[in-house]
Amino acid sequence: MLSRFKYLKPHNLNEAVQYLEKEEKSFVLAGGTDLMILLRRNLINAEHIVDIKGLPEMAEFEFIDGAGLTIGASVVVNTVVDSEVVKTKYPALHQASASLASFLLRNRATVVGNICNASPGADLPPALLVYDAVVNIAGPQGMRQVPLHEFFTGVKRTVLQRGELVISVQLPDPGDGDKSIYLRQARLRGHDLATVGVASRIKPDGKVAIGICAVAPTPLRLFALEEKINERELNQETVEWAAEEIKQHIHPITDVRSSAQYRLQMASVLLKRGLSHLITKEDNHG
Amino acid sequence: MVDHKECSLLDEHIASNQRKVSLTCVVNGVEICDTIDPTMTLLHFLRDRLKLFGTKESCGEGECGACTVIMNGKAVTSCIILAIEADGAEILTVEGLAKDGRISILQEEFISEDALQCGFCTPGFLMSTRALLDRNPDPSEEEIKEALAGNLCRCTGYLPILKAVKKAAERERKELK
Repeated sequence: MLSRFKYLKPHNLNEAVQYLEKEEKSFVLAGGTDLMILLRRNLINAEHIVDIKGLPEMAEFEFIDGAGLTIGASVVVNTVVDSEVVKTKYPALHQASASLASFLLRNRATVVGNICNASPGADLPPALLVYDAVVNIAGPQGMRQVPLHEFFTGVKRTVLQRGELVISVQLPDPGDGDKSIYLRQARLRGHDLATVGVASRIKPDGKVAIGICAVAPTPLRLFALEEKINERELNQETVEWAAEEIKQHIHPITDVRSSAQYRLQMASVLLKRGLSHLITKEDNHG
Repeated sequence: MVDHKECSLLDEHIASNQRKVSLTCVVNGVEICDTIDPTMTLLHFLRDRLKLFGTKESCGEGECGACTVIMNGKAVTSCIILAIEADGAEILTVEGLAKDGRISILQEEFISEDALQCGFCTPGFLMSTRALLDRNPDPSEEEIKEALAGNLCRCTGYLPILKAVKKAAERERKELK
């Protein structure tokens, strides 16, 4: 049996924000695939559960040419997997979404939940990071926007303050000629967090973006490495060089899923594979 | 942005000691109205309140799929869903597959292909398959594997299950036209 809590399903954002601000031990419920397990294992002391699935702004899932893609906080991962726009415009996000947990869980798990849970090994952040995703946050002081690479502050920690909740994550339109790929290494397919996950993107102007998970306390965008790669001509030689250079930019740890050494090696391999794939293909379909 | 005047209902809710919530949903075609504790999972609501024991509890954390039911057309793990989240929803459990006292084609094929041994995981497999065939009557082997990846079986192995799903899909396409 779960510990006792009260349940509230607000009908407007004001209500939700006020409740979260007022009650310290309140938790946001969207898909519940992480929260329910924390409750079951008594890892959190929840007195109030705020179900945000009744808020209309949370259901937004829309791509607008030029403006980009908005994914509301109650949009489940399978909606993204099934989206043709995501498949063609944001292939790395499609691949990361399709690799997350199992089909059953993806019917409940939300994209924003995967961000807010702030697991170092979450699959979606690397893909969202390479697209310069921005997180839309509502709170007692109003709305604010935080770039995703500034959103994570540590293991399971984010910039969210008391009373704040994420409404949506927004990705700019990558434009034509954009290419990306997400590759993950795990002990088995599904039901396992990534040992390492690498999203690689080559923008229409030829610049590279790299996102990575499970090699640091938070998912990372490797800006410094990107800068060094972008100083060079993007060819197979550069890719080989980058695959070695990435080892200077990440500091993985050893845990149940992998040794630090293996993570370093796999990060190198996945980056090499990803970039090699992108520079040798013409179309942008992952 | 917070308008405090709008929130009198909210204050009432916070102040009240009433923890029970009312739930209305349709389970296997029957409308159910109940008053429940908000901490109750959908799985326990189905088993303990409605006495629908076909849906099984195993891992309790969404890993094994034994508790799979179809909620608003989607296969979901009922052990990590609060019953109150199903308010207004339509739920189909394994008990809802048989029609007029006759088991469904899908269930017949699981039996004829020996796709079960102890049977504990079977209701979950059946519900995941039902949801799959409802959205895709002619799935490829890869698509079947993907849809059933969240359901674990510890005794038969998966090959008879795959075979049963393929045969059921084929029969449904012919017989239910």
